[in-house]
Amino acid sequence: MKKKIIAALMSTLMVASMFTGCGASGSGDSGSSDSGVEEITWMFWDDLNATEDLISLGYKDVIDRFNADYEGQYHVNVVTTNLEDYYTKLNALVASNETPDVFICSPGPQLTDYVEPGIAAPLDDYLAQDGWKDTFTSDAVFTQQTYDGKIYAIPLNTAAACCFYNTEMFEAAGVEVPTNWDEMLDACDKLQSAGYTPITISAGTAWCLSMVAGYLCEAEGVDLAALADGSASWEDGKLEAAATKLMDLSKYFQSTAAGDTNDVATANFYNEQAAILIQGSWAIGQMNGANADFEDKCGVFQFPGVDKVIAKSDSLCVSSTTKHPEACAALLKYFTDDTAQKYTAEVGGKIPVTNVEYDAEKAPAQLAYVMDVFSNAKGTFGFYNESMPTTETGSHFDDTMVSVFLGQMTPADAATDMEEYYAANCR
Amino acid sequence: MDKLLRNKKAIAVFMAPGLILFTVILFVPICQSVYYSFCEYKAITPPEFIGLENYKTLFKDKTFWIAIKNSLFFLVFSCVTQLIMGLLLAGLLTNIDKGRNLFKNIIYLPCVLSSAALGLLWMFIFSPQFGINKLIETLGVPNYSVDGPLWLMDTNGFIVLPMWVIAFVSLWQYVGQSMMLYMAQISGISKELYEASYIDGCTKAKTFRFITLPLIRPMVATAMSLNAIGSLKFFDMVYNMTEGGPNHMTEVLATHLYQQGFKYTKYGYASAIGVVLLVMCLLVTAFINKVVKTEQYEM
Amino acid sequence: MKKLSISKIIIYLFLIIMAIIYVAPLLWVLMVSFKENAEIYTSPFGLPKAPTFENFKFAWTAGKLGIATLNSFIVCVITLIFSMIIGSMAAFGIARLRWKLARLSLTYFLLGMMIPVHCVLIPLFTRFAKVGLTNSLIGLIIPYLTFSLPITIFIMVGFFESMPNELIESACIDGATIYEIFFKVCLPLGKTGLFVTGLMTFVGNWNELLFAMVFISDDLKKTLPVSLSKFVGPYNTNYTQMFAAIIIAIIPTIVVYCAFSNQIVDGLTAGAVKG
Repeated sequence: MKKKIIAALMSTLMVASMFTGCGASGSGDSGSSDSGVEEITWMFWDDLNATEDLISLGYKDVIDRFNADYEGQYHVNVVTTNLEDYYTKLNALVASNETPDVFICSPGPQLTDYVEPGIAAPLDDYLAQDGWKDTFTSDAVFTQQTYDGKIYAIPLNTAAACCFYNTEMFEAAGVEVPTNWDEMLDACDKLQSAGYTPITISAGTAWCLSMVAGYLCEAEGVDLAALADGSASWEDGKLEAAATKLMDLSKYFQSTAAGDTNDVATANFYNEQAAILIQGSWAIGQMNGANADFEDKCGVFQFPGVDKVIAKSDSLCVSSTTKHPEACAALLKYFTDDTAQKYTAEVGGKIPVTNVEYDAEKAPAQLAYVMDVFSNAKGTFGFYNESMPTTETGSHFDDTMVSVFLGQMTPADAATDMEEYYAANCR
Repeated sequence: MDKLLRNKKAIAVFMAPGLILFTVILFVPICQSVYYSFCEYKAITPPEFIGLENYKTLFKDKTFWIAIKNSLFFLVFSCVTQLIMGLLLAGLLTNIDKGRNLFKNIIYLPCVLSSAALGLLWMFIFSPQFGINKLIETLGVPNYSVDGPLWLMDTNGFIVLPMWVIAFVSLWQYVGQSMMLYMAQISGISKELYEASYIDGCTKAKTFRFITLPLIRPMVATAMSLNAIGSLKFFDMVYNMTEGGPNHMTEVLATHLYQQGFKYTKYGYASAIGVVLLVMCLLVTAFINKVVKTEQYEM
Repeated sequence: MKKLSISKIIIYLFLIIMAIIYVAPLLWVLMVSFKENAEIYTSPFGLPKAPTFENFKFAWTAGKLGIATLNSFIVCVITLIFSMIIGSMAAFGIARLRWKLARLSLTYFLLGMMIPVHCVLIPLFTRFAKVGLTNSLIGLIIPYLTFSLPITIFIMVGFFESMPNELIESACIDGATIYEIFFKVCLPLGKTGLFVTGLMTFVGNWNELLFAMVFISDDLKKTLPVSLSKFVGPYNTNYTQMFAAIIIAIIPTIVVYCAFSNQIVDGLTAGAVKG
């Protein structure tokens, strides 16, 4: 009997090892380093095969081009997760000394997390080679990636948060593009009387609402740096004023704003159920993809009452422990070469970071408008939730703004709450 | 026989594989995690011992107390409703002849699906624009998609509406599991016992009360402990339906732990929450076993 | 007699209502998976205007669901077999063998059920990375197996304890060894228990996302839940494709479940439980 059991156990073990053996051999080329090919990994937060995101598809092209051009010399393996679990996996890899050679990271506190312990390497030396740095539009594109004068990440493109609007609805309601806050409220009022829903927004996805709050705070002159070092107080009335404005504006939101997710709010706009969508320019591809007739009807204007725009860029870091720094630099250059940057503008609808000349005819119509807004603006600033001392502080800001919107807090409460939070956690 | 059952070698053979595997793979990391709870640890940098600091912060953390409240609500709700519904369904299903398998399979169906996928589905169903509110509107209540309750965003009351919604959805998903456990145990009760009771003139309800219930009592304790632990550790559905929002109102211990540990990379702090969770699980299981599993019946 | 049939009607009515509550949302998922993504926003409850199989095709090819299903199958089946053997052995040892630390070791195993998986993720991952077990299916099977043990043991202890003593006694008198008693007497009697625990662990592992996500990087070794998450984009989600993928992912579970469940129930009614 005993022998039988042991025999059964052994055979299952054998089957097991056979199966896993299959799995291992399936991976194929991962162990080919003896042939002299330098293997690096690139980690990203969207699956390159299953995605519909145009920017992600552009990155896929870059990877394919790189692997084809450097065949026999370099090879890049792609590791992807979804955005939700990205940092979980990245941190696990870092903790076990398996940091991917090149990885994407949001500028702001998240990047700081990898720069301060020395996980991300400074890239100035590579930027200086072959005049790579001169291909970028200006040094300003590196602002969010610079720590103590050193650049730790390469931006790949810039998206700006703007107000997208339905030109047909504006015409029908006899509304001009608003240029200041009063005109904005006035425009919304007219749109509403004409029977349209003026603004579609998502409070279910907290950062969407918080983005608007960020603009309103900027208009009131909130100084995040001074707040972080304690030389200013949240209770100086600026946040309260901004939050009050948010409440004024919320009268014009779609009735289901509180529960709608970002997907739904954006769909409201491209399905022509609302006149204005305040969103990042990454949504252009999504809108035009879902409703092909929409491109002609969609205009863009700068958030009224602010002379700067909120901008966000995808940035790549290089691990400081990489064994193949040259391969990493070569890969980074492929992300910012003319082909990639052209694609960024013409197909992806984001603003290129280099001085590439692209065919404006091919690019989505909205990109030109966004570019106008971008070049007319007096500067850029980051998402509020990504410009605070920690990621958690940013989330707290988002949550506070949602609470104000839901009526759980008054604008004054919100200011007190933020001040208490900063006093306890940030200074 | 006693000698046979006391055979040291046999004990070793039966216990060793499980014990070794469990100790190496799980117990050591658990200990490590307990150690991290006394550390400032960001996962990407080495841990740094800071004593009870994490626990001190924990007890001052408002979200932590909301999470405790919601987790306890969840615990009580799921223990009570799973017991009642699970027993009811098991009782009904063992007493019908036609379609028993069909109904059993249908009710068990959500258990085999991933909570992540179901969470997404239910989020859709409770979203104001096209979920049940819209359905009710189409069925004839005007403007309901605007006036109807904000299922997942309402913030009023001691236990907020989204918590009730999530609690009912999880009852929907997991009641099949309790039902299966009870049915498995009921099917092990000897038929003669039932036949004897029918001959004595017992009704079906009475047989259930006086024969089935006492005999499955150990299983009640087992199923309830599973429920209790499961509900304290509950994560997937909450995370996929509300992510703990709005403003942490629907945070439970596991989601708070996840956010702190992985979103904000405060791994040491998250470990402290994990230790609290572990202690709560231990207390609740001990309590259930004391109260429910009073005596064993010989069948 | 008539009264009885009324109560029967009530019972069936109740069960039918329950069945509708259970099936309706899942049917909705099925229906949506035949739509185009834009349609989900315009008519979420209507029948698909132009039913399309594109979502399924895309999900299958782009999501690499074929290889993912195979991986999930390998991982879950191996885990299932070993957890049933090792788990029920330990449960038997705790419930039936006579030694002092039996109760204590049960509590020890239960600890594994109480610790949130998130807490052990990083320690386990760094350990596995050191011995080179990450990014392989074996590296998933081992933790899955270990996580399945506590629940298997917990439930099986209940089953073994409720078995009549006389059974073991009579087997003893017949001169059976302890191993024979376990494999030939107790295990067959605990068949229902094994089925339930097996189902629970199989399903749990089939749907496990966090470990699979962190431990596996290679696209060809990803399991189903990880592949499902591919359809969640950074800024927007394609729900129709995702629902199609979900449908593909649940079909094998349902097939396996139906096949096994009927067999077990047949076995029961055939008089396996003689008491």
